[in-house]
Amino acid sequence: MLAYIARRIVYVIPIVISVALVCFLLVHITPGDPLVAVLPADASQELAAQLRAAYGFDRPLPVQFGLWLLRALHGDLGNSIATGRPVLAEVMRAVSNTVTLAVAAAIIGFTMGILLGLIAGYFRETWIDKVATSFAIAGVSVPHYWLGMVLVIIFSVQLNWLPAVGAGPNGSNSWAWDWAHLKYLVLPAITTSVIPMGIVTRTVRALTGDILSQDFVEALRAKGLYETGVFRHVIKNAAPTALAVMGLQLGYMLGGSILIETVFSWPGSGFLLNSAIFQRDLPLLQGTILILALFFVFLNLLVDIAQAAIDPRIKRG
Amino acid sequence: MSELPLSATADAALQAAPATKARGYWATVGRRITRDKVSMACALVLLLIFLSAVLAPWLGLEDPYKGSMIRRLRHIGTAGYPLGTDELGRDMLARLIYGGRLSLVIGILPVILAFCIGTSLGLVAGYVGGKLNTAIMRTIDVFYAFPSVLLAIAISGALGAGILNSIVSLTVVFVPQITRVAESVTTGVRNMDFVEAARASGAGPFTIMRVHILGNVLGAIFVYATSLISVSMILAAGLSFLGLGTKPPEPEWGLMLNTLRTAIYVNPWVAALPGAMIFAVSICFNLLSDGLRSAMDIRN
Amino acid sequence: MKTTTRAALIAALALASAAAWPRAASAETVLRIGMTAADIPRTLGQPDQGFEGNRFTGLTMYDALTGWDLSSADKASVVIPGLATEWKVDDADKTKWIFKLRPGVTFHDGSPFNADAVVWNVEKVLKQDAPQFDASQVGVTASRMPTLASAKKIDDMTVELTTKEPDSFLPINLTNLFMASPVKWQAFYDKAEGADAKAKSQAAWTAFAKDASGTGPWKMASFTPRERLELVKNAAYWDKARVPKVDKMVLLPMPEANARTAALLSGQVDWVEAPAPDALPELKQRGFKLYANEQPHVWPWQFSRVEGSPWNDIRVRKAANLCVDREGLKDGLLAGLMVAATGTFEPGHPWRGKPAFEIKYDKAAAQKLMQEAGFGPSKKLTVKIQTSASGSGQMQPLPMNEYLQQALAECYFDVKLDVIEWNTLFTNWRRGAKDPSANGSNATNVTYAAMDPFFALVRFLQSGMAPPVSNNWGFINEPKFDDLVKKARQTFDPAARDAALAELHAASVDDAAFLYVAHDVGPRAISPKVTGVVQPKSWFIDFSLVSMTP
Repeated sequence: MLAYIARRIVYVIPIVISVALVCFLLVHITPGDPLVAVLPADASQELAAQLRAAYGFDRPLPVQFGLWLLRALHGDLGNSIATGRPVLAEVMRAVSNTVTLAVAAAIIGFTMGILLGLIAGYFRETWIDKVATSFAIAGVSVPHYWLGMVLVIIFSVQLNWLPAVGAGPNGSNSWAWDWAHLKYLVLPAITTSVIPMGIVTRTVRALTGDILSQDFVEALRAKGLYETGVFRHVIKNAAPTALAVMGLQLGYMLGGSILIETVFSWPGSGFLLNSAIFQRDLPLLQGTILILALFFVFLNLLVDIAQAAIDPRIKRG
Repeated sequence: MSELPLSATADAALQAAPATKARGYWATVGRRITRDKVSMACALVLLLIFLSAVLAPWLGLEDPYKGSMIRRLRHIGTAGYPLGTDELGRDMLARLIYGGRLSLVIGILPVILAFCIGTSLGLVAGYVGGKLNTAIMRTIDVFYAFPSVLLAIAISGALGAGILNSIVSLTVVFVPQITRVAESVTTGVRNMDFVEAARASGAGPFTIMRVHILGNVLGAIFVYATSLISVSMILAAGLSFLGLGTKPPEPEWGLMLNTLRTAIYVNPWVAALPGAMIFAVSICFNLLSDGLRSAMDIRN
Repeated sequence: MKTTTRAALIAALALASAAAWPRAASAETVLRIGMTAADIPRTLGQPDQGFEGNRFTGLTMYDALTGWDLSSADKASVVIPGLATEWKVDDADKTKWIFKLRPGVTFHDGSPFNADAVVWNVEKVLKQDAPQFDASQVGVTASRMPTLASAKKIDDMTVELTTKEPDSFLPINLTNLFMASPVKWQAFYDKAEGADAKAKSQAAWTAFAKDASGTGPWKMASFTPRERLELVKNAAYWDKARVPKVDKMVLLPMPEANARTAALLSGQVDWVEAPAPDALPELKQRGFKLYANEQPHVWPWQFSRVEGSPWNDIRVRKAANLCVDREGLKDGLLAGLMVAATGTFEPGHPWRGKPAFEIKYDKAAAQKLMQEAGFGPSKKLTVKIQTSASGSGQMQPLPMNEYLQQALAECYFDVKLDVIEWNTLFTNWRRGAKDPSANGSNATNVTYAAMDPFFALVRFLQSGMAPPVSNNWGFINEPKFDDLVKKARQTFDPAARDAALAELHAASVDDAAFLYVAHDVGPRAISPKVTGVVQPKSWFIDFSLVSMTP
């Protein structure tokens, strides 16, 4: 087991470096002046050249990459061009808000997904199954940014029950788990939860159906095991795959929150990414993409290891 | 976005693959899918949307670009404007139908491109194996290390707004996914008896790849690719929704959703219409893909 | 069970109302504002985000040597003394200016404002080897005072500023240099950790931005990046008439018009900048007050004057200006939220002058001019305009351009639109009409702020400002403009300088140098609880005058 973990960790290192390279290159193929945020269109050419040198954008790309990577290893992702604030602190603050949203969405989505999936798998090919799978299909097919908009129309515009945007009455700074704050979380969390809900439902349904149709379940039933026993069996056998799928979904929620955060002005990593893109703030853009991608890589690693711990057969590769 | 549990798909595909040896397999699949009511209903809806998009100029619609300041944001059901008008007074029905043209192209084209590129890469990696496999698959892994929405937005954000750029970014997102499926299916099939037999009988690698492997794995990859179309539609429209895809004044569902968002206090249901189109197309593709998969699954 | 629940409920209600009472009696007044910015503008003295930045984090916490008169909604907003009480150019050497400083002013940290502070603040953006030099503040500052070279202390209350060339615009430009506290910064610098002086300086500025100190009417209370800035009133402000009437002001970035409008309707904020135009009727109906006033802003088509451009014919330029029904645009599309432009400055502005060419809607005259120029119903003139779908100050670029397209079609124009991304359009503005990026366009549609003479006139009209130097995108080369620019720059008596600028402006209108379309009006929607709002003809507004009724 330890050897497997070590192997997986070693395998992650080149990925991490390549991911950093991709982040760096992605941002540097960007057309336009990297200093557009601090350099007005009316600035003189001398001023432009002077600033470019001050920010180090006049150096060759490999040198810039080397310096950036070196500093990144020391936990310094540079300062945002537009605001001058350190990128790392900025990204981590935003990520913590995204985590709040993702966790809330995961609680809703995974609970619903497991429930619907079990029911559908148990009552396969009945109308109950049909209803549950319809929910699941709708969940994975709905453009969630549109769903968010529709929820805002219904619950904020028409009914005036819930706030349309923002992360709490006083911003995310004073976040608390009380209703005054939670009501800001309800709509974005529901919106974020529909995709994981759909995917978890489908996965759990398939797993449950498969396990129930296997011979040993028949044998157990023949032995007179009660349904609760069968059920426990299903859970035990479905858990590793379901956990892996949920782990990945959590990763997607953390990294792919940009559309929903834009709809709800939720001050998370996606919102930050959006403003970095539109302000053409290269250090911030690089930093945000890098941190989000790294989160995803490590979450994948954890999922792999956890899966291997639960089910030793997986340690093949 | 909605990432299907990959291993499950690939496994199902693998199990489906050997059956292609049997003659008449595709006929059976065809027969089974035409009997599936849900799939047929979806196919019909998609056909309607496709046809109306293609034939839009001949349907006697209003000019989708021509606005009028005095008839902005009319409600659904206004005489002459069955689906109302948008924020510039342009006919929504015309814009939704014309919007299908771009929306479908930027949603589907990336999957087709990724299908071609990913299948080639996966076939080569899976069949040749060894160092080449390692090289291809490790490169793919790097792109796989990004959540797909993040990758699509990062590339689009870097390249700037534009239809071409968003097609490129989505293709880059889907290539690794298709390559992985193609590689795992090919590796699986390569070691099967009938390929060994062909090799023993002196067939060259290209013949083997073309005749046997391609024939046997393509169906599996195809099913996987169809399941990506719905994701691609949502993502492509999402890019436009963020202002990273299509540029105004082109009618395109994601962009229409974006520009109409300012109208949700005035005319909420007109503002929500373009999203309903994306939803409809996306769910139909998903159901059709499911139908296709179960029709190809011989275990049923 | 039931009774206990009810009892508990009543108790809770009683408690809540009891708690509410004393608070209401001694309530501090808080004004909450939804800004259009996506982020809080920088707080360290030199804000980013253009003039919206200056409005919220510049003029609130800081003062400059000169300021703007924001006390009237009707008069033009002109430059008035700020931290300098008087100034004058050296008669012998017109590149040297003497500024007398206002005595008795202190920074929020208690340190005195004096000549050393002025020199320090000039050097933070102009002297590269000064410890406080900060490259990130240079771009937004230096470009707004292009001729300032250095500062020297004469005595504690007198400084000498030197320009690269004689420039009578200096006092106007200096409204953009805000005075941050050197003492406060030095304290951060001394505490800062960093490998070298540059790293320490950067850390000091980062710390300063979180705990800023200026001389302005508002003091920083708390700062949450990207979400919230809280300012409290500076009761010791030097201008007693401008000590804020509200105790606290909270600034919230809300880039989406919808989100701002929703926040106002739901009572999350008391004041929003630029509410969603479609929501205006509802806002009005629910008792919110709408404010708008002409701003020093122009929404134009800037013509290409390079070889072969159709706009080289003055009849064509004039015809375009006469063919647009600006009132129709205002009422039909913008819900009344614009002022028809008849030049860069409107009548009443000191720099307006007396143009002979009257810009108005006169289709017949426009058609006649076009026919004289050789065009007609069967021979249309094709012109191509580069524009964007969005962008700061661009108002509603696409619908407005489509409106112009329809309007100009009546005068035998065939208008083609080249819609590109806002950032690209803005960058192309500096590349000029001859650059391939212009993509064959013969006009560009970048809106501009007309606060000072350089930005409003000089950079477009002077031949030496052609790309890549500045924004004379269309390569206007008119000796008359060049002479008038030179004259204005070298006239140091303020009244005579204004007259020279008025002459330059009148000449540009007579030449139909632009297609002048609209001025933005800076619409705001404000809760009825807020009183005393004066919206001047400016990008800025004085928050000190505002009161809140609880």
